Amino acid sequence: MHLAAVESRGFRNLADARVAVGAGITLLHGPNGAGKTNLLEAVYFGLVGRSFRAGNDRDLIAYEQPAARVELELAPQGAVLLAATDRRGERRHLLDGRPLGSSESRPLVSVFHPDRMELVKGPPAKRRAHFDRLVGALWPARADLRTRYGRTLAQRNALVGRIAAALASPASLATWDDRLAAEAVPLIESRAEVVEALSAPVTELGAALGLEGMEIRYRPRVPPERERIGSGLAERREHDLGRAYTSFGPQLDEVELRFGGRALKRFGSQGQHRIALLALLLAERRALIAAGRPSPLMLLDDVMSELDPARREMLVAALADAGQVMLTATEREQVPAAAGAEVSAVAIRDGRPLGAAGLGAADRDAA
Amino acid sequence: MYAGPISRLIGELSKLPGIGQRTAQRLAFHILRADDDDALALAEAIREVKEKVGLCEVCFNLSEGPRCRICEDERRDRSLICVVEEPADVIPIERTGEYRGVYHVLGGALSPIDGIDPEDLKIAELLERVDSGVSEVVLATNPTTTGEATALHIAASLRDRAGANGAVTVTRLASGLPVGADLEHADEVTLGKALAGRRALG
Ligand SMILES: [Zn+2]
Repeated sequence: MHLAAVESRGFRNLADARVAVGAGITLLHGPNGAGKTNLLEAVYFGLVGRSFRAGNDRDLIAYEQPAARVELELAPQGAVLLAATDRRGERRHLLDGRPLGSSESRPLVSVFHPDRMELVKGPPAKRRAHFDRLVGALWPARADLRTRYGRTLAQRNALVGRIAAALASPASLATWDDRLAAEAVPLIESRAEVVEALSAPVTELGAALGLEGMEIRYRPRVPPERERIGSGLAERREHDLGRAYTSFGPQLDEVELRFGGRALKRFGSQGQHRIALLALLLAERRALIAAGRPSPLMLLDDVMSELDPARREMLVAALADAGQVMLTATEREQVPAAAGAEVSAVAIRDGRPLGAAGLGAADRDAA
Repeated sequence: MYAGPISRLIGELSKLPGIGQRTAQRLAFHILRADDDDALALAEAIREVKEKVGLCEVCFNLSEGPRCRICEDERRDRSLICVVEEPADVIPIERTGEYRGVYHVLGGALSPIDGIDPEDLKIAELLERVDSGVSEVVLATNPTTTGEATALHIAASLRDRAGANGAVTVTRLASGLPVGADLEHADEVTLGKALAGRRALG
């Protein structure tokens, strides 16, 4: 399954247009402010139903337009994904006119953008959520581990709060501790497995892109053993009752990105953070392919500007082996032709993809 | 907005699960337009169900008398109790034709978020029943967060009382059911397999 075309209406500064997307690498090039990133954002919005940028839905709607709307045509089955948001804040996200079910029905997507830098330098919660989603992408049967653990944790927190407020007896607390421990085990194991799968590629790709000694590390505060977790919860029971929350378990774990033996989020420069994010996304892509999963659609915003010509070529070659990539650059020359890489280039000026089919007024009325 | 009786009817209808204000209005106006006979038959059916149907004094399943038909049935094996969350969960298990024991309906599942603690369920009543000579308890609560916790809690409570009532085997439905699914929506074949393959809980 891949993306064949993107069609946007009333989306940021983009002219209403349809852009065909190639099977390999698609380069969007043009001056700053031309709308390259907006087109990447439109693709993401179509797939996920929200933006990868900070800010609210209303920002997506073009000046004086009632709604922003993106349609993605998926090949080979010809299915159409539609995402829309209007000024009243109403959202729609439909596949062939029906509400979306499982994530299986649309391609995975992976984004490089300045607002995603939080993944490298933000709080641990962002990384936990990200790697838990990656668990589901690598092993779909485990996609609900995070939700299951989260639900059980919410129940335990509610009980602890009610016991602390003398609204409930502690009679069932041991039960919830044991359930929570049982749900924690596969979550911790899966995070460890994901980090193990990423470990070698992160270091290798980091070095290839200029970040020597990059590492990913997961050190759970408790090993994935039901009894150990249960007794850890029991030991902190008094403490938890005093504060009405759960102070022990994998909801507090950190997946650390490091380089040169130090935490990247504290010691890296802006440029090092950017390379680390790119290396991480490429490592995830490699892990997915190695697991026999489809390669995710890579949306890479302005990744070339900081790389020297040799590394640009290395990146293009690395991206050419599988799946779809859409990337932006101010100059066409920033994306060199690498061996075997098929790059289709789309120039963008003033929100208008050149050579793309414009959408007439009739189309807009029909929408 | 509407005359007293109409807004009262809308108010009552909107208390029903899954019925929002707008649907309640639609239903109220439907009733208003309906034949007198139809509308009064509905009112009568509601009154009758409240008067005649209560909970079985033994298993807390729905019952028209003090005891439900299953508890009254001499052929059922009283040494085998299947524990479910709601009366609706009895029906799919009966439909499999695989089960010859009796039931115990808890009236829900543990859920601190909703303020449901062990005392709010018929757990104490279950423990009492088990004391009076039961050889196996099948825990058939739903494979959801709350259903799993409820099964675990009952298993632990039964273990704690083991000294008093000798050896009772506690089993859980085999995990043939999809995770997170309600018993109510499971098909007969899956449920039959889950019953046949139930396993002892530690
Ligand atoms: Zn009964």
